Amino acid sequence: MDGKVKKQKQHQQKHSGPKAEKKKLKKQNGSTEEDERKRNPKAFAVQSAVRMAKTFHRAQDIKTKKHHVPVVDRTPLEPPPIVIVVVGPPKVGKSTLIRCLIKNFTRQKLTDICGPVTIVSGKKRRLTFMECNNDINSMIDLAKVADLVLMLIDASFGFEMETFEFLNICQVHGFPRIMGVLTHLDAFKNNKTLRKTKKNLKHRFWTEVYQGAKLFYLSGMVYGEYQNQEVKNLGRFISVMKFRPLVWQTSHPYILADRIEDLTDPERLRTDPKCDRTVSLYGYLRGTHLKNKGQVHIPGVGDFQMSDVNFLPDPCPLPGTQKKRALNEKERLLYAPMAGVGGVVYDKDAVYIDLPANHVKQLQEEVRPTTELVQSLIETHVTLDAKMAASKVSLFSGSAGLDPTDISEVQEGLREIHVWDAHTQTQRRKVVFTGLEEEEDDVSGSSSDEDDDGSDQENQEEEDDLSTFLKEVRDKSEKATKGSTPPVKKRKLEEMQGEEEVIAEAPAFADSEDELERGEADSEGEGEAERAGDSGHCSKESEEDSDDEEDGDEDDESMEEEIGADDSDEEEEQGKYHSGTFKWKEGLQQKASAAFLRHQEAAPNLRKLVYGSVVEAEDSEEEEEELGGLFRVNRPQKSKKVQADALDCSHFNPDISHNWELEEMLNSIRDCFVTGQWEEGQDAATLLKEDEELYGDFEDLETGKVHKGTTGEQDQAETDHQSGRTKSESDEDETDDEDQQVKMDDEEVQKNKRLEKKRRLKERFDTEYDDGDATYFDDLKEEMQKQAELNRAEFEDMDDESRVQYEGFRPGMYVRLEISSLPCEFVTNFDPHYPVIIGGLGTSEGNVGYLQMRLKKHRWYERILKTRDPLILSLGWRRFQTIPLYHIEDHNGRHRLLKYTPQHMHCGASIWGPITPQGTGFLAVQSVSGVKANFRIAATGVVLDLDKSVTIVKKLKLIGYPYKIFQNTCFIKGMFNTVLEVAKFEGASIRTVSGVRGQIKKALSTPPGAFRATFEDRLLMSDIVFLRSWYPVSIPQLYNPVTSLLLPVGQKDSWSGMRTVGQLKHDLGVRNKPSIDSLYKPITRAPRHFNPLHIPKELQKALPFKSKPKLLQPKGKVPRDLKRASVIREPHERKVAELLRALSTVHHYKKKVAQRAHHAKHKEFLQQKEKDEEAKMKRMKDARKKLYRIMGQKDQKKQRSSLKGTPQDD
Amino acid sequence: MASHGLTYEGCNFLRQRLVLSALSGKRVKIKNIRSKDDEPGLRDFEANFIRLLDKLTNGSTIEINQTGTVLVYQPGLLYGGTVEHDCNPQRSIGYYLEALLMLGPFMKSPLKATLRGVTNDLTDPTVDLLKSTALPVMKKFGIDGEGFDIKVRTSWYSVFVEMQSNPGMDKVAMHVILYLNLSLVLHPQVVKRGMAPGGGGEVVFTCPVRKTVRPVQLTDPGKIKRIRGVAYSVRVSPQMGNRIVESARGILNQFLPDIYIYTDHMKGANSGKSPGFGLTLVAETLNGYFLSAEMLSTPQGQGDPILPEDLGRNCAKLLLEEIYRGGCVDSSNQSLALLLMTLGQQDVSKVLLGPLSPYTIEFLRHIRDFFQIMFKIEVQKPLEDERKGGDKVLMTCVGVGYSNISKTLK
Repeated sequence: MDGKVKKQKQHQQKHSGPKAEKKKLKKQNGSTEEDERKRNPKAFAVQSAVRMAKTFHRAQDIKTKKHHVPVVDRTPLEPPPIVIVVVGPPKVGKSTLIRCLIKNFTRQKLTDICGPVTIVSGKKRRLTFMECNNDINSMIDLAKVADLVLMLIDASFGFEMETFEFLNICQVHGFPRIMGVLTHLDAFKNNKTLRKTKKNLKHRFWTEVYQGAKLFYLSGMVYGEYQNQEVKNLGRFISVMKFRPLVWQTSHPYILADRIEDLTDPERLRTDPKCDRTVSLYGYLRGTHLKNKGQVHIPGVGDFQMSDVNFLPDPCPLPGTQKKRALNEKERLLYAPMAGVGGVVYDKDAVYIDLPANHVKQLQEEVRPTTELVQSLIETHVTLDAKMAASKVSLFSGSAGLDPTDISEVQEGLREIHVWDAHTQTQRRKVVFTGLEEEEDDVSGSSSDEDDDGSDQENQEEEDDLSTFLKEVRDKSEKATKGSTPPVKKRKLEEMQGEEEVIAEAPAFADSEDELERGEADSEGEGEAERAGDSGHCSKESEEDSDDEEDGDEDDESMEEEIGADDSDEEEEQGKYHSGTFKWKEGLQQKASAAFLRHQEAAPNLRKLVYGSVVEAEDSEEEEEELGGLFRVNRPQKSKKVQADALDCSHFNPDISHNWELEEMLNSIRDCFVTGQWEEGQDAATLLKEDEELYGDFEDLETGKVHKGTTGEQDQAETDHQSGRTKSESDEDETDDEDQQVKMDDEEVQKNKRLEKKRRLKERFDTEYDDGDATYFDDLKEEMQKQAELNRAEFEDMDDESRVQYEGFRPGMYVRLEISSLPCEFVTNFDPHYPVIIGGLGTSEGNVGYLQMRLKKHRWYERILKTRDPLILSLGWRRFQTIPLYHIEDHNGRHRLLKYTPQHMHCGASIWGPITPQGTGFLAVQSVSGVKANFRIAATGVVLDLDKSVTIVKKLKLIGYPYKIFQNTCFIKGMFNTVLEVAKFEGASIRTVSGVRGQIKKALSTPPGAFRATFEDRLLMSDIVFLRSWYPVSIPQLYNPVTSLLLPVGQKDSWSGMRTVGQLKHDLGVRNKPSIDSLYKPITRAPRHFNPLHIPKELQKALPFKSKPKLLQPKGKVPRDLKRASVIREPHERKVAELLRALSTVHHYKKKVAQRAHHAKHKEFLQQKEKDEEAKMKRMKDARKKLYRIMGQKDQKKQRSSLKGTPQDD
Repeated sequence: MASHGLTYEGCNFLRQRLVLSALSGKRVKIKNIRSKDDEPGLRDFEANFIRLLDKLTNGSTIEINQTGTVLVYQPGLLYGGTVEHDCNPQRSIGYYLEALLMLGPFMKSPLKATLRGVTNDLTDPTVDLLKSTALPVMKKFGIDGEGFDIKVRTSWYSVFVEMQSNPGMDKVAMHVILYLNLSLVLHPQVVKRGMAPGGGGEVVFTCPVRKTVRPVQLTDPGKIKRIRGVAYSVRVSPQMGNRIVESARGILNQFLPDIYIYTDHMKGANSGKSPGFGLTLVAETLNGYFLSAEMLSTPQGQGDPILPEDLGRNCAKLLLEEIYRGGCVDSSNQSLALLLMTLGQQDVSKVLLGPLSPYTIEFLRHIRDFFQIMFKIEVQKPLEDERKGGDKVLMTCVGVGYSNISKTLK
């Protein structure tokens, strides 16, 4: 374009003429639409009711299709970080992308990405990045926990199988958000091919995910990183993305562990390195509420019972709620303990704490729980002699560092374990003396159901001499702590509190006061006191004394009073506990008592009555008296025991203190009846008044009289009056009191009343005008909304400690799980590149049973699957190997066994496996080891039914042979072996191969197993008789979890379970001998011999000639006399004939030559003729042309002459 | 891989333990069952209950030691379907029915259980009581529909249906029947009743299956609008019923005029094997909650005989006691309501109860053992000038998100 734009011709409005006229008319008559409707009503009328109905239905269908089933919104207020899984084939740039994104969000560089990396990306959002390596195990596990998948695709190479496999895994386990990222775009030199590839890849990606799925392009690398702008864009996309709730994820709690600690007693490790480990796992809780002591599954390891759960302060908290536009530089946080950031680095047997300088500074400025966590992370697990020698002790990089002498001091007698006590919001460093270790372990171990009262006394004895020893130890530890000079404020605080604190923090056995306590409470209580408030179920109340609980259990007739007494007792006890040398606890005591009082108000004694009896079962051990060493005194059982065997009855016996003869008792329930007094707002009189107010104002049009509704003040008086009347039996003075009270805050009441009235009016208006067309769907949605609000509000104002007990741990919390018996390989072969997922199991999901599923072989898997070949399934959280049986449902509902899966059809599959809710999707692979070129996902499907038995049958044909045939009756042998067998099948229908149907009648005595049968036709001896029957098949009970995480590092993708029969045969070199019958043999067909067709003579005569058999005798030998005689020429004749032949040959030759010449000549002639013709045509054309021209000229002339008469324009 | 089991001692609360075990899939071991008793081990009625549980489930294993003092129960999947069971006459059908009410909605196929035995006795809630109180509670949780009913063989209901299908009926009569029907359904005229020692009654319990139970907020009980009841007598003088009604009305009329107590006298084959009489009273509130009380004559040959007048009066007082306790669920169904709250979606459920019965308290502990659910228990003290009975307890919990894993997906 060159500067000036071509100006288009402007529209000129017509001011006259028909168009203008029309327009004027239009304007005068107003809107045409109205007009048209009036003028031409037929065009706008309903012409076809059916069509109308159809269009209406269609509109409604489209409208309802948009609806989703409303679900209660259960997202927590502070959601857990979003899990972003970066997936792609190797060498595609996954780590680089994560690094770039982290740098983009936090301005920090992470050198190696190990395990999950959590960062704060915005004021309301945190992200957890996890890289998925090229192992199908990791791909399956991560697909289950991902919220967003960044799918990296090497554009220079195109799609790889891993991409499609991952997409299919996602499809099965609920589809998380997927965003494609194209890398290696700088490999394209040609711009056109680049564009073309981009387009191709995009469209293929769309068909897999959904139309319009976002695909990012990372065009190239700059100094080994992606371009800043592109990464920033990607980050922006991530931080505003919305996520859909996935069914499995929203119904199960799960944790992507970002930190793991081995808590096993080092002494035990030393003696038995292969012992089961006690491991604590840390991570953000996601999904739904997690209950303490529940069952969990760790994919790749197995099922475990959680021994304890507690929540920790958030290591990577969202920034405060102050009004700020963006995060400032200091708030950009990063937490990745496995990668060595956020404070902790891993080694096999030690933890290194790293606090970067800026962190420390920031922490000193404002104390935030993050730091406390970092502190609490400091846990060492080392044996004393051997491992200490290797000096793998905790180090503080920010501090002066431990010098070896200090370490040696510590080595001597004790080591410290930092225990984060969430209840007191302090960090406790528990001193553990190695000699005591086993003892200590015992005590804590007794928190399980068994009690060991015996060990209790032992403990007491030992403590006496311990206490003296520990004082020495304490002094040493003080030195050690001072020497280390912790860099963080927390530490300073501790030091300020000084010696007492250290004393206090050497907990149970350090003090006489404690000893007392221990003497009273049993070991169970001790174990719990250690973890007071940490776990979900043992609260402060649970520590109460045993007699207290017994009281509570005994009866509850006068429970209120009794419990009040108990309470005071307990408080006293606590007071005792807190007093004494515990200065450190003083501040706490206030806090605790405040919390306690709050508790008391919220959930008073009844709660203790119901749940306070945790320790009850333990102290039931009865002491036995012996008489003379021979007899035992069998005392009558305690009250509790009696209750244990009491009558099982749900009746609640009435309170004997209530005497229903008395008038006052009767009066106490008067208001429970409609005849009693109503509440202010619900009184009939009040309601009537309100209606009066609303509808009372009206004017009688006929008489012109104006009726006014009564006003508020009058109301009040009236209602009072009326209510006074209604409760005629009640005392007079009561009403008087009420009246006075009402007058006291009359204004208040008036104001409230007005507000109430306004609200009701508005509500009525709303219901009339807004919700007029409220559908069922809207109602449902509103209901869900209400429920969600209630869910939020119910426990909102509680502290987390007690809230956790009711709700369980809510998603978004940072929790620590302790699992007591993990296999040692989990720890020794730990590889942070593999995700450790802790998936919570619902009730009864820990059991095994038969599962019936709908399965379809994946269309990209090139082989069909065989029944009884082991298959690895990913179902729920689990990956396991099992043996499926495939079947299909017949028309009568029978499940018939199939040998192979159908090619392009669903079939049923039954397995023995973990109980998983119906509707859960699963996928199957043949093997998880190694990398294969082909698509690995063998089948996908969904769980339909769970059961403890199965009904799959396979067809069984029993074959017999007739040995005696009467008319339609037959004796058949060979089908059964005994008379009894036959008896079982009497009346069964049988069939021959040729299709003659029959029935088994009766067994014959000889030969055994033979029977009489009748058929619908006569059989031949050559017939084979068979009986079709169905034989139930049993499913092999193989459930073999894939324990890929337990394999050594580097071999984690080489898990192999049970081999298929085919693999076994291949590996062992066994080949089946095929059945002789199945072998192919050359087909030998005996020549067929047909007898001649014989037509009776009579018939022959009657036939027309056409159909009569032609009696053609075969040609016999021609008799000699009929044969022609051969001619033998004379010599002369021979000469003549030869000459003639020669002559004729010559003649022929000549003729031929002449003909050829003639041909040539004729051709020439034809050519000449053609030429002439052409010339002639040309001539004629010319002539015609000339002629036409002349004619044209003449015509023109003629026209001109004819026009001469008219006046000319120009 | 079998989940870790739970261990208990003593035979008390056996039903709770077994029912919760069946619902949660957790193994349960009960030790020391009457181990110090002269007759150690399980009683016949307990064994009978275990047998019923076995009929309802598929794949459960039950191990009982030689003396019957140790029971190990590994639950299978709840199967349901048509079940016929002869209950032990030591306990009434109510004993068995209470468990069935808890299990019924979570079966694979809709339950149709025919129970034969004692319909009314002193120790357990009678069938009439359960029908009139437990079913409305369950309906609040979304468990209702066509086949949700407890029938004592033939009831008035079928008569009503017959009448309804008769087109020739005039409208007024229809309305009368409709009005009556409300109460008639609540109080079926039991046709095959079996009193305490002998038994001989028959009850059909049908229950549809549900995948999930919905959360409830039952916090406002409302005021009582009417009281209904049945005074029944079998193999005694038909006058007994009238005498009971008279005395019961005497007390209840002080509060409410809308009282109707049906008399129901049984004869012949329908009257079971033992004589007896009794009264069941149900108070219905404006918000559709039911509080109930019942009283029976002492079984023949056991203890002192009771006068029908005394029985009527005592029963009325029991109802007053129940009203004094108050709440949205009456005392015998507390545990049922709490169980259904526990098994609800992961939402907050609330229910207002009267004081917790010992049975319920133990049930709460068991729920914590089996489902790790704790209830928030708040005591609501009555206001000064309020005359609505004693303290109430507001129970709040978040459901476990239980879904019926037995139900087949089609």
